[in-house]
Amino acid sequence: MKLLYYPGCTLKTSAKNLEKSAFAIMDALGHEIAEMEDWNCCGVVSSLTDDDLMHHLATLRNLIHVEDQGEEKIVTLCDMCCNTLKQTNLRMKEKPDDLETLNLFMDRENDYKGTVKVLHFLEFLRDEVGFSVLKKMVKNPLKGMKIMPYYGCMLLRPREVAIDDAEEPTIMKDLLKALGADVIDNPFKIECCGSYHTIEEKNLVSNRANKITNFAIERGADAIMLSCPLCRFNLDVRGKEAEKMYNNYKQIPVYYYSQLIAVALGLDPKCCGFEDHAVDPVLLLKKKGVFEK
Amino acid sequence: MPLKSYDKKIDHDLGIPLQDDYFYDEPEEIIENKTMPELESTVKLVTERAKMGKKRTIQADVLIIGAGISGMQAALDVADKGYKVVIIDKTSTIGGAMVKLDKTFPTNDCSICTAAPKMVELSRHPNIELITYADVNSLEGKPGDFKVNIWRKSKYVDPDKCTGCDDCAEVCPVEIVNPFDEKLSTRKAIYIEFPQAVPIVYTIDYENCIGCGSCDRVCEPEAITFLEKSEEIEVSVGAVIVATGFEVFEPVEMRKEYGYGKYDNVITALQFERLLSSFGPTEGKVRRPSDAKLPKSIGWIQCVGSRSEQLGFPYCSRVCCMYATKEASIAKEANPEIDITIYYMDIRAYGKDFQQYYDHAKELGVKYVRGRPSSVYENPDKSITIKYKDTLTGKIEENTVDMLVLSTAIMPNKDNKRVGKALGIEVDDNGFFKQDSLLTDPIQSTKKGIFLAGCIQGPKDIPDSVSMASGAAAKAVAPIKNRKKHIGKNFPPERDVSHEKPRIGVFICHCGKNIANYLDVEKVTEETKKLPNVEFCDHMMFVCSEDSCKKIKETSKEKGLNRVIVAACSPRTHGGLFQDTLMEAGLNKYLFEMANIRNHCSWVHSDNWDAATKKAIDLVRSSVAKARHLQALSEEEFSIYPKTLIIGGGVSGMKAAIALADMGIKSIILEKEPELGGRLKNLHSMFPSDTKTEDIINPLIKKINKNKKITVMAGSELDELEGYIGNYKGKVKQKDKKKEIEFGTIIVATGFKEIDLKGKYQYGKNTNILTQTELETKLKNNDLKEPKNVIFINCAGAMDEERPYCCRVGCGVSIKNAKLISQKYPKSKVYLLYRDMRVFGKEEEEYYADVLKNYHVITIRYPSDKKPEVILDKKNPKNGSIQIKVYDDILNEEMTLPADLVVLTANTEGGAGTEKLKNMLKVPVDSAGFFIETHAKIKPLDFSTSGVYMCGAAHYPKNLVDSIAQAEGAASRAAIPIAQERMKGEGIVSEVIEDKCRGCGTCVEACAYSAIDLIPYSKDTAKMVASVNRALCKGCGSCAAACLNSAIEQKGYDSKQINVMIAALLDEEAGK
Amino acid sequence: MSKVTEKFVDINSMNLKKGELVKEVEELCGENLFGCYQCGTCSAGCPYVEDMDLSPDEVIRYVILDRKEVLNSKTIWLCSACFTCAERCPRDINITKIMEALRQIILRKNIDKTKLTKITKEEKETIPQLAFVCLFRKNVG
Repeated sequence: MKLLYYPGCTLKTSAKNLEKSAFAIMDALGHEIAEMEDWNCCGVVSSLTDDDLMHHLATLRNLIHVEDQGEEKIVTLCDMCCNTLKQTNLRMKEKPDDLETLNLFMDRENDYKGTVKVLHFLEFLRDEVGFSVLKKMVKNPLKGMKIMPYYGCMLLRPREVAIDDAEEPTIMKDLLKALGADVIDNPFKIECCGSYHTIEEKNLVSNRANKITNFAIERGADAIMLSCPLCRFNLDVRGKEAEKMYNNYKQIPVYYYSQLIAVALGLDPKCCGFEDHAVDPVLLLKKKGVFEK
Repeated sequence: MPLKSYDKKIDHDLGIPLQDDYFYDEPEEIIENKTMPELESTVKLVTERAKMGKKRTIQADVLIIGAGISGMQAALDVADKGYKVVIIDKTSTIGGAMVKLDKTFPTNDCSICTAAPKMVELSRHPNIELITYADVNSLEGKPGDFKVNIWRKSKYVDPDKCTGCDDCAEVCPVEIVNPFDEKLSTRKAIYIEFPQAVPIVYTIDYENCIGCGSCDRVCEPEAITFLEKSEEIEVSVGAVIVATGFEVFEPVEMRKEYGYGKYDNVITALQFERLLSSFGPTEGKVRRPSDAKLPKSIGWIQCVGSRSEQLGFPYCSRVCCMYATKEASIAKEANPEIDITIYYMDIRAYGKDFQQYYDHAKELGVKYVRGRPSSVYENPDKSITIKYKDTLTGKIEENTVDMLVLSTAIMPNKDNKRVGKALGIEVDDNGFFKQDSLLTDPIQSTKKGIFLAGCIQGPKDIPDSVSMASGAAAKAVAPIKNRKKHIGKNFPPERDVSHEKPRIGVFICHCGKNIANYLDVEKVTEETKKLPNVEFCDHMMFVCSEDSCKKIKETSKEKGLNRVIVAACSPRTHGGLFQDTLMEAGLNKYLFEMANIRNHCSWVHSDNWDAATKKAIDLVRSSVAKARHLQALSEEEFSIYPKTLIIGGGVSGMKAAIALADMGIKSIILEKEPELGGRLKNLHSMFPSDTKTEDIINPLIKKINKNKKITVMAGSELDELEGYIGNYKGKVKQKDKKKEIEFGTIIVATGFKEIDLKGKYQYGKNTNILTQTELETKLKNNDLKEPKNVIFINCAGAMDEERPYCCRVGCGVSIKNAKLISQKYPKSKVYLLYRDMRVFGKEEEEYYADVLKNYHVITIRYPSDKKPEVILDKKNPKNGSIQIKVYDDILNEEMTLPADLVVLTANTEGGAGTEKLKNMLKVPVDSAGFFIETHAKIKPLDFSTSGVYMCGAAHYPKNLVDSIAQAEGAASRAAIPIAQERMKGEGIVSEVIEDKCRGCGTCVEACAYSAIDLIPYSKDTAKMVASVNRALCKGCGSCAAACLNSAIEQKGYDSKQINVMIAALLDEEAGK
Repeated sequence: MSKVTEKFVDINSMNLKKGELVKEVEELCGENLFGCYQCGTCSAGCPYVEDMDLSPDEVIRYVILDRKEVLNSKTIWLCSACFTCAERCPRDINITKIMEALRQIILRKNIDKTKLTKITKEEKETIPQLAFVCLFRKNVG
């Protein structure tokens, strides 16, 4: 299978490890994944006002280029990009008048015909590969690791573009089970991490990280698994900063799902880029005996 | 457990020798191996008989689908008029959802105690055929001539043989989740829904039965039979009533944020009812599902799935506010240390005594928080933390409770769409059956001849369901009114025993294990045999079973018995059955006595065999002592004048008259105004469909004027009244003339009126301060000048110390009028000041949302202790500008709003003339002037005085839909005595010993049924003595107990009989 | 006494195209604010409500009552558009879009909430890019 991939800005900078580990997984699965040509920033947040079409331009351009490359599917690793691309895609389908306006405006681009399907990598793994396939390939089961899945906002809301049920998602739980880990449920798994407030309201985000993590720790979790690069930063980096703000608080390591899959599959841990994390994720893996190196 | 002896090896069903394959493997082996060996012999015969298959046909008058409280009420109403009813229910028993409840609001009556007598009455009614475990398949034909196809599933248990002893369920190896207990417990594959089920026949759940035959092996009466097969039945009727009830929404697909199905301690309100119920999974104790301990705190979340335009249903479920208050107050009263909080948006305590019930719950310590929780989560100790905003304090809070109860939406029965298709009637968007026209014909479905009753048309509580069911009965009788009627049962002629010495027969009941396991029935029998005058005494398993009753009849004839005593349960349970048995044996039914050795003995002394036995012996001896003095009593028959007087010619009165006329009964409408129409004449339109009042009243008036069965006396008032049920004579004042009329029954439909606001909110001091009615009249006559700022103030004179009740219709009226003003004057700004938004009826919540969104009405909630203040311009108070000061309870700040039109939603009270009417009719009225019904839940349209009924706003303010349902219901109730043509009074009436009577009137005061009057003494007309009206007397005995001179004796319970009983009870020798 | 104490925008000089605040908001986001019956679900579920001066349901109420000071509230800038409120609202009102509309009213008058002139080297290198784009998209006109 050949898959076209949309990276988005962050995957090329502060979340390089997410991309690397994902590529390693595709390699192990025997599928080809190729970065699409001529992509641009997705725009990050979908426009929320009815009259605003300008902010859809950047996103739409990417979808057009996917069509140009003769593909019908585009997979992304970044939750934000996924959400934005999906929302624009949906808007174009629901309001053909808006699509026509944008097509006319972007006169130097081809017209978007509405054929592209946007997939998050997790969706791809669940629907097109199948977690049972991954389970069979597991060499180092994550036995003894009590992991709390954290979804954040963008994967599940709004409902029209969600990859799983908005109140009771199970995709990460199923994945963790396939990898052999113990799943810790947490009512905060679908709450916002703080998002862009990490720039101007650092303490607010540290507060969030503390709340989310504390709940996980109370229920016995050793680690958190998530998929969004911004969530990772907020829980990991700002979470570590929260250690200074709260007594007896220790931030637990935060993993990308792709890193955990890579470890479980026995792939070269270099692809995981664990050194980029604030709270050392390797320590826990070693402690649980998952990780020999 | 007695086992059958299989030495003879004969199959008891087929009478053929048993093959060796009769004896199955042990149940465990079958479950293990998952095999069910076929019983060749029986299967062959059954198949052969099935091939002969003839469809059973039943000829009847009305078919009722669904035997919950609505279905049962409709069935009884129709059957009492003499028509034949077939009633079916898809479960194996009748009772519906009402039997699942513990207590009912606002009276806190035990639910099963109020429903069970109706269930028993229905099962014994000679005109009603009950088919349970049956469902409807198809319908064809037209009104007056329908053919309905029913599929009756087999219970595989012979109803004539089953005694309800429970031996089979004890040995059944299969356990499945019990839907009756709302999945909180398990039941076996052979089961009875609940202990008081009617009919008391065990049912085999074929889908889960593994065919091991254990039940068959232990069934003593040999009631298990595979020959009892499912069958198709064709019922020919003239009308159909659909009363299939409701289901409760389970938030597993939608509204998952409340954790139902995920967290152990989150349950629905109906599950909580099962916990409270004495025959539920915890025997009435409130226990947490996770650890079966008493919870220290419980929370209720209202509107789960209701009032939701996404992830739920848009309508209001109407009963949840009250049932949550009920459940909370019951739990709190039983366990005052539990912390209870109800999270709500509005508390819709709209009905009669509801607001007072809600106030009482608050006094008990139930906390109410206005805030809809966002989500809940479970803590490691399984307690639930709720996150919410207390909108009245503005604080975001978290509260942890041990148990969370979700008040989920009332949903239409899942089967509705299929039933609707089968019958050819339409279902609305939410799945409830559609009525022909909400505001003019709410009971008529979309197909003529098929009527709706109860929650099937929309969520509603028990009194509203029962009223509507009676209304459906009235409408169902219309197409069949000319059919032959069957009133009462035919019995053989009575034998005169007055000259005979007492020959008493005593039948002592085991009641299965209920009595026999706790006292020595053999000993009781032996001791009783020794008593003088006892000619026969025996004990049996179940005296109420058919073969036992047969035995009573046979023995009576054989031994020449002239008194019968049954020592068993309460007379309330089977008293009527035994009396009928006596009559079938040719004996007067009052020659019967019951000794309650169950409820009064074995049930309460279950831990002391000897003491219980002695007490039972004493009780039976006491009954024998009385029986010696029992006399045959007669029930006086009264003729019924076939006409009904309807007092009040508003919509309720008119609808009642039309319903009666459709049933072939004449009526007189007495209206004090010069024209018919009532309050609606002055109103503009009605919510929620904005129908103009002319379009409602005028067609009715036209219909009435054309109908020869209805006499209209307008501009008339009832001046004098004498008589009693069936025999009333009245004098009507029409202008200056007085006219005499005769009638048999009376319907009170006198309506209500707005209270005099007496200067409240400066009413009367400024020309621009109006009541809702005044506003509507002005709008109707185009007499309103364009206002800029309109402010509605709801609950004026309501829910305060003077009048603690809610006016029920005010919220709806204010929304409707806000819409009217906004439509007429789009530039006006409209504010609505309210305390609770109580729009609970069908389509009302949606109407409310619509008005807010499309007409931009701003609602401001004010607290009960900070009422709005109306400030007039000092220089020009009569016509000048007005300011309203209101405290916004949600923003927690005071606002001052300018107004050039202020509309007050005044509370309501009983119609004028209530005082005079109540004295004439001898009926009670409450402090607000509304008439008091005999039973708040199941007899909302009847007075305690027989022959008088009520409907509409005279009972309590209500909207048009509920008024019409009640009006048609009252017509049905008033028609029953008329349809029966003759009426029998009670036998156990009181009788005055005139010579002893002092004429003090104490008995008159004591009588709840207005059956006693003072009349001139026959021997000295200057003196007054009491006189009992046998038509009204119900035989309660209060007068006999109250009389200071012992001048009243109650037949069947006279002083001699009671004294003899007491003496025999206490002294063994005296009993001889 | 208003709960809003910030003075970010001069509301007196605020000229609204539609005159009333609620009409302006409704045009921008297409949501009918009058449908709100103040149940409090949105506020209870909002992750940042404890730091807000006006809770989301109060914001809606202020808009309906045409209190322009709502434009000065911290709330509309603290909202991260996580959609929790919109998903749970029983009246099916998309409060996220309402917050955006309020932000846009200010931003379209060329008033920027964020004037991020200096970013430290460490921040540039560690904070994910998407946070910056998001910030600028949300707070800059």
